[in-house]
Amino acid sequence: MASMEVDLAGISLRNPILSASGTFGHGVEMQHMVALDELGGLVSKTVTCQPRPGNPAPRIAETKAGFLNSIGLENRGIESYIESVLPEVESAGTVIITNIGGESVADYVAAAEALAGFDVISALEVNLSCPNVGGGRLPFSTDPKRAEEVMRAVSEVTDKPLWAKLSPNVTRIEEIACGAEAGGASAITAVNTLLGLGVDWRTGKPALATVVGGYSGIGMGPVALRCAWQCAQAVDIPVVGCGGIADAEDVLAFLAVGCHAVQVGTASFSDPGMLGRLAAEVEQLLDEAGVKDVQDVVGCMEASK
Amino acid sequence: MPAPPIDARSQNAHVLGVEPCGEDGVLLRIKPLEPAGPLRAGRFFMLRSPDDTAPAIPRPFSVYRQHDDGSIEFLIKVMGPGTRALARSSPGTELVCVGPLGNGFPEFGADVPQVMVAGGIGSAPFYMAIQQALAGSHGAKVAPEDLTLIYGGRKAGFLYDLEAFMDLGVRVLAATDDGSVGFHGNVLDCLRKQWEVENLPETVRLLTCGPEPMMEAVAHEAAVKNLECWVSLESYMGCGVGICNGCSLVTRPDGPLGEWPVAKACVDGPVFCTSAIEL
Ligand SMILES: Cc1cc2nc3c(=O)[nH]c(=O)nc-3n(C[C@H](O)[C@H](O)[C@H](O)COP(=O)(O)OP(=O)(O)OC[C@H]3O[C@@H](n4cnc5c(N)ncnc54)[C@H](O)[C@@H]3O)c2cc1C
Ligand SMILES: Cc1cc2nc3c(=O)[nH]c(=O)nc-3n(C[C@H](O)[C@H](O)[C@H](O)COP(=O)(O)O)c2cc1C
Ligand code: FES
Repeated sequence: MASMEVDLAGISLRNPILSASGTFGHGVEMQHMVALDELGGLVSKTVTCQPRPGNPAPRIAETKAGFLNSIGLENRGIESYIESVLPEVESAGTVIITNIGGESVADYVAAAEALAGFDVISALEVNLSCPNVGGGRLPFSTDPKRAEEVMRAVSEVTDKPLWAKLSPNVTRIEEIACGAEAGGASAITAVNTLLGLGVDWRTGKPALATVVGGYSGIGMGPVALRCAWQCAQAVDIPVVGCGGIADAEDVLAFLAVGCHAVQVGTASFSDPGMLGRLAAEVEQLLDEAGVKDVQDVVGCMEASK
Repeated sequence: MPAPPIDARSQNAHVLGVEPCGEDGVLLRIKPLEPAGPLRAGRFFMLRSPDDTAPAIPRPFSVYRQHDDGSIEFLIKVMGPGTRALARSSPGTELVCVGPLGNGFPEFGADVPQVMVAGGIGSAPFYMAIQQALAGSHGAKVAPEDLTLIYGGRKAGFLYDLEAFMDLGVRVLAATDDGSVGFHGNVLDCLRKQWEVENLPETVRLLTCGPEPMMEAVAHEAAVKNLECWVSLESYMGCGVGICNGCSLVTRPDGPLGEWPVAKACVDGPVFCTSAIEL
């Protein structure tokens, strides 16, 4: 039986598999369908200071090899999160990471400040990269200086480890990763969705009401893997891989390029029970390959540092 | 926090049979590995065929009938790749099966007669709704003469399993746009006609499921006549369990769902009172 435990910037995870933000609710809702203590951790849906009703419908559309969404960070705001979600997640039996979002540096700071005193939260994931707010301009994840600025400002108001979640919609993601690291990030999450679009040419209707949205799922796998590798090469903090992971083989591929953990998103829509089984499947692959410790896979790709 | 129902499972199910039904439909009978308890009409499952041509994301289908052996039947209209792959599956095939999901119809009293207005495949949730109203198994027992199904479609081939509905012993009124069966016209005209000829009391409870414009028209008629009206929505769904926020609906500010401006069709519904949401 391979050891599955990983250390992620001071947080000990039972295994390297987490839910991806926005694709698993806040996690606890799923406790009757998924054994949450089989996961390394739960990442919440992005929480913002003010409530956000989200974008108009249609907000989702399946494509040939993935999924388009323009949810627009629908959430009831940080007060509601503190009042009605946090007391519930205490009993989840796994590590809790809260993902925070905003439209300005002040928004991120206020969200981090509001959550600073809650010990149930092991880390904050700072969503620098939502394509569905501010018209997809991605101000904080396309400029290393702005990424650094947000991370620095947030790190001044909280002692919690901060993960910076980056966008793949850039030319040199490693520069953004370095900016986030310089600003005080203790891990990088790579990556959020690609920008995408769908259309029905017969009716002329775009698949999403916002026309452009985020593209996720298996089709983005190789892009995400490349992004994760570039980040892992560039920074000294751990990288959490995300994008297109659908099975245990995919999990191990992300570890091989240097990730210490992974997040699984869209695959939960194909099978909401899958996250509860994935760690066991990874363990089985390791056992079959005679690998004793999952951490031995981390960075095993030849061209990795 | 909106959560999937406590009895929902993500599991596999064996196909027991697939029978053609109507012009472009099938009756799919499956047996989940872990059978569900007695299901309320209007609840649904997400189903996916293991076929390579099937989309990765399961599709939602109302429970059509539940059998004593734990098997469940679905009435499915072939629309695109997901339904096509299910229609092609053969006995023994293992499907991905997530459910039971959603709220189903509430427990109604026997205070007023019920009229169910179905368009095409929208009839699927009403078979069990009628069975359960007759038996009084969820809510009050309703006499057969107080249950009416108005079942419309473009033509005869789109009135799926019509005979089975007729055999339930309640009043079934078929309506077709081309007049090939029953009333010549749409379901709304058929409904109005019933009132006109005093075949229906003025006060009834309306339940509707079918194409959106049809449900809107029925809801509008209900609003004009100040009647209680329930819709079973067929919204586009990503997960069916409340975790993707993809199936959003606009709620009515003064309605029973509270102040939050959006609801989730999958976990707050798919059955809603028309006072709760904007159609
Ligand atoms: C709660 C619920 C219960 C339903 N019950 C039944 C039923 O009992 N029998 C039945 O035949 N159908 C039912 N539907 C509709 C059924 O889910 C869709 O027809 C099916 O998803 C189409 O998938 P496809 O891959 O074959 O076609 P696609 O190519 O995906 O779509 C064909 C057409 O169907 C629409 N559509 C696609 N996916 C969905 C979706 N998830 N929900 C609604 N519309 C969609 C598309 O906009 C398009 O117009 C139900 C839907 C819901 C939400
Ligand atoms: C429906 C949906 C909603 C999402 N919401 C968020 C969100 O609120 N915050 C965030 O940081 N990422 C969000 N994401 C991005 C995912 O967390 C993940 O980065 C992306 O989907 C790629 O992973 P995947 O291919 O495994 O889905 C969302 C993705 C989807 C599909
Ligand atoms: S379909 Fe995913 S939240 Fe309703």
